[in-house]
Amino acid sequence: VTAIALAAGIVAIFFAPHWDKIGDIKGAQMGVYFIAILGLNIVTGYTGQISLGHGAFMAIGGYTTAILVTEHGVRDLWTIPIAALVAGVAGFLFGVPALRLSGLYLALVTFGLAIAMPAILAWDKLESLTNGGQEIQLFGSENLLGKGFENVTVLGHSLSFNRAVYYLTWGIGLVLLVVAWLLLRGAEGRAFRAVRDSEIAAASSGVNVAAHKTLAFAISASYAGIAGSLLVIAVAFADPQSFPAKLSLTLLVGAVVAGLGSLWGVLAGAAFVEFLPDAALHISKAQGVPDAVYGAALILVVLVLPSGVAGGLRRAVTPLTTRLYTRS
Amino acid sequence: VPVRRIVLLIPAALLVLGIPVALGSNAADPGLTPTSIHIGGTTPLTGSAQAFQSVAKGAEAYFKYVNARGGVNKRKINYEYLDDEYTPSKTVSQTRILVEDKDVFAIFNSLGTEQNEAIRPYLNTKHVPQIFAATGATSFGRDYRQYPWTIAYQPTYIAEGAMYGNYIRRTMPQAKIAILYQDDSYGADLIKGLERGLGPRKGNIVSKVGYSATDDNVQSQIARLRSSKASILMLFSTPKFTIQAYQYVNGLGWKPKIFVNAVSSASNVMILSSSRGQNKRVEGSISIVFLKDPNDPKWNRDKGVLLYRKIMKRYQPKGNAKDVYNMYGMSAAFTFVDALKHAGKNPTRQSLMNAVLRLSERNNPFLLPGMSIRTSATDHYPLDQARLERWQNGRWISFGGLLKARS
Repeated sequence: VTAIALAAGIVAIFFAPHWDKIGDIKGAQMGVYFIAILGLNIVTGYTGQISLGHGAFMAIGGYTTAILVTEHGVRDLWTIPIAALVAGVAGFLFGVPALRLSGLYLALVTFGLAIAMPAILAWDKLESLTNGGQEIQLFGSENLLGKGFENVTVLGHSLSFNRAVYYLTWGIGLVLLVVAWLLLRGAEGRAFRAVRDSEIAAASSGVNVAAHKTLAFAISASYAGIAGSLLVIAVAFADPQSFPAKLSLTLLVGAVVAGLGSLWGVLAGAAFVEFLPDAALHISKAQGVPDAVYGAALILVVLVLPSGVAGGLRRAVTPLTTRLYTRS
Repeated sequence: VPVRRIVLLIPAALLVLGIPVALGSNAADPGLTPTSIHIGGTTPLTGSAQAFQSVAKGAEAYFKYVNARGGVNKRKINYEYLDDEYTPSKTVSQTRILVEDKDVFAIFNSLGTEQNEAIRPYLNTKHVPQIFAATGATSFGRDYRQYPWTIAYQPTYIAEGAMYGNYIRRTMPQAKIAILYQDDSYGADLIKGLERGLGPRKGNIVSKVGYSATDDNVQSQIARLRSSKASILMLFSTPKFTIQAYQYVNGLGWKPKIFVNAVSSASNVMILSSSRGQNKRVEGSISIVFLKDPNDPKWNRDKGVLLYRKIMKRYQPKGNAKDVYNMYGMSAAFTFVDALKHAGKNPTRQSLMNAVLRLSERNNPFLLPGMSIRTSATDHYPLDQARLERWQNGRWISFGGLLKARS
């Protein structure tokens, strides 16, 4: 079943941008959300630690790419694993003090990180590294795919820059989905879930709670770092305002809509956060209305599908499958 | 002689064959049909900066008004603005969608300094006009050699800062000055202009405290500025933070003379800042003005303001006609239409850009009387005049004559 789903996913990813309503650019943005929400789901959905600060790890990944491409002449593709590593280390370091916190307190501290990140990026002392509050333009750089606008030749096919970024994002997204799936179905995944469901029970079963919490944080942050890196490559541009605190909230919204503790729902979560704002604007452009529509839609989703899209699907499908089993 | 005839026929045949080739190579730029011209831009329709969206909506209303009168050279102007949430990375992706998926002819009136900086290299590489960027950052008028497809609209922030500096140097040369500023190139330009205007008095600046556009509030910044004991406070901040700043200044019992930058001095924002007259710290504030203020009763019989109200009522009925940003958008749209008229019957991106750089507009009904818009190959500053104004009893009173606002 998984293999079929995966194959269907690959086909869908290949054809989606040909469908006018989505297009390469929106499709790639959704891919960025997909990867970040996937990562957030590992720490929040599977390990039970609420993070309201994953936008900050995206900023770390994004700035890693921006600085390496412009200052050190590193090819954009090679900056992606480095961004994952840097954000992962940041996530690990952040995960250590976070061990002492749980629930609401952890959520607050991570949100503090999200709020502080733009200011940190604009901090005078880091100016030599981050260019202060000013932008970093990657556009036109030789190290960027097609310099940020030219066609890119991949395996003999000429692709537009946007299409190339789209495939790059979803290609990486798919790999990361498989990695997450492999990780979570094994012993590590069981340990994560044990920590989420009861730390005491997990500890008494021999699970190293602290190690698993920090590990989950590090992996999750490295996913966000990759997402941030891809975002910067896609727009060929980085600045502090592009990683506002709101981004972290958006990611958590995506994870909740997806269904915490589900990998397949992440697709729905990413689609929700990418396309709902457009839909809200479609209803009305009057000042203040789109934000209200967005909020109302979110409340509705949580009311109707308290365990996210994945949970809703499970509830719909389970009665059918159990009947199948009981009959046979 | 048949041979000669054939020889004569060859150039004729080439000519006939050549015409379609020539027409083909001269194919219209994207976004142009015989009956329409499609332009686009970005604006914050959602999020914390959404107060600025009237800049797009006022322009939209004016284009609808022009379209109802037959458009420009029989072309209707289709102005499509997308939401960028005031987030520069979104500005980039929405602008790419407009240019590559929606084939717009030009980008018009996109809002924000960082936002316009983010898309500038892209648009110039693609040779897409970036017309009347809604920002006063000096770079947009100064760096035209590097970015020939880009031009802004309003007076620059450096020029604005210099007007305040000049005024302070002349009237309050001893006063100590504190500055609240947005920590980006917009804030930096205003400070640079202020220092230029103060000249030898720039040492009077005793405190500068910045905030980030993504901050929640400026309470601690105001507290720090107050401790400098300055008697003049410059608010180089966007509306949300300006409104907060007035509240905090009042709450702390501080009584400085306040200068508020034009970005936040729309009378509808000032009325909010003053809590509808409750907050006395707003009284006597000084700013600059270049648009007619639709809330000022002195324009009640003015043709431009009457036209503005008529257009708002008919084409933006859900909009708030008291919102001065609509007036800004309408003024920019008026100048755009003016340029389009001069770009030829079948404009190209190049001919539109040429027309934008040959403006001589004296009849813009939405600008203060006597103002003119002039541009040339070497003058990329469309609006370069303004007056000083003082907030008194719930409205702006301008004083002094039209001043040159050039940096």
